Amino acid sequence: MSVEWARIDGPVADRGSFPNPYEIETPPGCEGWEEMYPYYALFDERRRESDEQRFWFWNSMHFPLPMPAFDVFCIDSPYDGIGSWQNRVFAVPPAMGIDYRCVNGYIYISGNAVTDPEKIAERAGYFQERAGHYFANWNELYAKWRVKVDAMIRELTELEVPDLPEYEPREVVFENDRNLRFYDVLDAYSRTLRLGDLMWQHHSEFLLLGYGAYMTFSEFCKGHLPDIPDQHVAQMVAGIDVILWKPDAELRRLARLAIDTGVDAAFAEGRTPTEIDAELAESEAGRAWLAELEEVKDPWFNMATGDGLYHYYGSWLDDPSIPYASLIGHVAALKAGEDIERPTEQLARERDRLAEEYGSLLDADARKGFEELLALSRTVFPYVEEHKFFCDYWFLTRWWNKIREFGALLAEHGFLEDAEDVFQLSRHEVNGALDELVLTWSTGGEPIGPKHWPPIVTRRKEILERLADWTPPPALGVVPDEVNDPALVMLWGVTTERVQEWARSAETDGELTGTAASPGVAEGPARVVKTVMEISDIREGEILVCTITSPAWAPIFSKIEAAVTDIGGVMSHAAIVCREYGLPAVVGTGRATAQIRTGQRLRVDGSAGTVTILER
Amino acid sequence: MPGTVKNYGRVLADLRAADAESFGGKSSALGELIAAGIPVPPGFAVSTAAYRAFVAGAGLDPMIAPAMSGLAPDDVDAVGAVSHRIGEAMRSAPIPSSVRDEVAERYAELGEPPVAVRSSALGEDSREATFAGQQETYLWVHGAEGVCGAVRDCWVSLYSPPAITYRARLGAGAAEPAMGVAVQAMVDAEVSGVMFTCNPVSGDPSMVAINASWGLGLAVVGGEVTPDDFLVSKVTREVVRRHVHAKEVEYVPDAGGGGAVRREVPSERRDLACLEAGAIDVLIEVGRRIERHFGSPQDVEWAIARDGELPSSLFVLQSRPVTTASARREQPEPASAMSLLMRTFGVEAVGSDPEGV
Repeated sequence: MSVEWARIDGPVADRGSFPNPYEIETPPGCEGWEEMYPYYALFDERRRESDEQRFWFWNSMHFPLPMPAFDVFCIDSPYDGIGSWQNRVFAVPPAMGIDYRCVNGYIYISGNAVTDPEKIAERAGYFQERAGHYFANWNELYAKWRVKVDAMIRELTELEVPDLPEYEPREVVFENDRNLRFYDVLDAYSRTLRLGDLMWQHHSEFLLLGYGAYMTFSEFCKGHLPDIPDQHVAQMVAGIDVILWKPDAELRRLARLAIDTGVDAAFAEGRTPTEIDAELAESEAGRAWLAELEEVKDPWFNMATGDGLYHYYGSWLDDPSIPYASLIGHVAALKAGEDIERPTEQLARERDRLAEEYGSLLDADARKGFEELLALSRTVFPYVEEHKFFCDYWFLTRWWNKIREFGALLAEHGFLEDAEDVFQLSRHEVNGALDELVLTWSTGGEPIGPKHWPPIVTRRKEILERLADWTPPPALGVVPDEVNDPALVMLWGVTTERVQEWARSAETDGELTGTAASPGVAEGPARVVKTVMEISDIREGEILVCTITSPAWAPIFSKIEAAVTDIGGVMSHAAIVCREYGLPAVVGTGRATAQIRTGQRLRVDGSAGTVTILER
Repeated sequence: MPGTVKNYGRVLADLRAADAESFGGKSSALGELIAAGIPVPPGFAVSTAAYRAFVAGAGLDPMIAPAMSGLAPDDVDAVGAVSHRIGEAMRSAPIPSSVRDEVAERYAELGEPPVAVRSSALGEDSREATFAGQQETYLWVHGAEGVCGAVRDCWVSLYSPPAITYRARLGAGAAEPAMGVAVQAMVDAEVSGVMFTCNPVSGDPSMVAINASWGLGLAVVGGEVTPDDFLVSKVTREVVRRHVHAKEVEYVPDAGGGGAVRREVPSERRDLACLEAGAIDVLIEVGRRIERHFGSPQDVEWAIARDGELPSSLFVLQSRPVTTASARREQPEPASAMSLLMRTFGVEAVGSDPEGV
């Protein structure tokens, strides 16, 4: 098998190429952006010979915005996790881990291939034994995983960020049982970082194996049933009663409760959560409803408002406007006599019917493989669907808040103007600032930090704002002959065909292609949404154009006509939700948010996987 | 004529696959269809024994055998001359009265409707029979005399030039030629066509491909029109591809007597889709039943009668296994689920399965 996809010998001119990563210009006013990022994350001249001969693509799925310095943690740590499991634990034969580089604040990634056939054979031995054990004991291992993840979330929740009082408490002396605050602050900070690493370790444990099992089933289906739509493959596997749907199910239940207990008038269109809560607090029934809401919040409000990897994405707990908007919508729908229930029984019947019908079309041998792979896919799928809730949403939104508490400590002592500014420093710089803070707190000396950090923060905020206006090319470097790194294909949907389309579509205008993820055709005005902060701009009847969506966006799907995303495959969130809502979706277009402007009329063909810009 | 010994025929509904030896592939396949509950126009089959009785009774053997021996399959002129000579001899030879009486009697039992008379060749692969020109069909045949004449015409087709060439190529491997005949009530088709119970291009067994045009099936089978073309999912019944073409000609029964006539499709109907969603559903349902019965993708000829209403106006005229190159497309190599899973991760040669899936 050829694994020469990452590095290419010989002339590359006829293959076409993406921009050279060493020739990307810095946007005006953004000079010095490099200092926000680790030295190893840059396209360094000392590595030029190899780096410019590689294929790099913008990881807009996870990093659609320029990276704040602290958020780089969420690149390093997940790539530690994925790389370790893939390369050092399971030893996936042809592929090690993922390298990343930062250009103008945007993150480009590239896989590290294994090219030596002997090495590949050696790794195959490890992989079969180790991955085989995981597949054979999946349920047991996943149950253990749930326990580990629960413990990790609990530890994070209970972790205290100490303050620095003028005097140590009496207990230090009279109980003689505790450490001093300077130690506690540093210890809590380092423990917070380690918990973050632990989360990414857990997050990546089943990732590749889970997606790989699904992909195997999908490929099998397409081999025997060449015309099977991707969405049918997905429907046969997807869980019905999974955590992904639970938060919205709870909101529907609360909406019904509001009507049943006569407090639904509080949920008037246009009200803020605070206004709604205030009205509810005035009546007995309203207070009972609020008490029920509190029950629901833990854990179901631990949804992120965005796709988790930036510090800006808080949870529903931090910003209840999304769940409240959803409550208002559900109450209105119920009062209008609509059925807002998810038809779970019907979905389950349809899922089983599809599996039975497709299975019955195969001969005995093929049917056996079909059923084994379907069973395996269904076994691994709870992880695929649930890990995001536990890791990316629940844990990560709390973890960012924990970092905010360190920001508050630094702000309290004048090192930062605002707790939020902590995210403009790298995790190492925060450690340095805390080092100085505890040192000067201990010694009573005068800290230089309050003069040192605020101007740096101000400058970086300016740079990030300017970088947000820069449009990153979808890929850099050479166009690969072939993409066969399992991780890139499974997790990012980056295939040979997709990359070649990117290379071609640099010149084409007016039409984009992606993965046909949910059938149907729709026309309407585009709404380009680059960050979750903009989702409240979406109007009834628009076509959502975004980098990627997350389950927290669920409420807006009842407003839109179709969805188009830059990144994602047929199992991406947008695809799953659109199929549920019967909306056309085209995912993985690579550059929809860069090529389409809000207000342009689009035609989305979710069966053909095309998006046409009708009006320029 | 109750009490007449019937040796040469059988009601189609009584035939099964095992009767192919005595009645040919087409008649026995129609019997199977009827047994599977598929709507097939009623009719009867004439056995290969009838053909043999005809040849023996007319003393044709001494004439046929020498004409065929040593014939070079590539010698087009010689094949043509032999075909002509044998054909002439067969056409002027009498049909034994026992055969003639039985055909007439069965035709009477059928109610003496206009019928289609089709040859039902021997041989396992009826596709080869098509290739060899042994699949003659005579439409809209009236009267016992007419039916007997058409039966004889079917027998004659056994010595059509392509059939002769085909058997000459097989040489000693060619079985002694014989021919069965199927006689079926004619369907006055408003719409007819063919249906593949798989995608003939990709080979996907979850799809059904339908070609349909106005009138009798001749226009579609003979390639005289570009038919409407539908590709439909068996699983969801969703029409995934639909091409409606201008259908210029159609075949309809000749009002003045036997046979079918070709005429222009009136302009107001030409560009209309000749199948509605409901008709497609009925076709798919029948196609699936046929396929399940035979256990492999089928190539089905069908017609929707002018009189009557769906689903009872749909008739299946013929079904045979799909044997086009695409349907024999390269199936993915059989491999265990574990080895496929391993391949996803770039493990090419799988050794012993460590723990199983």
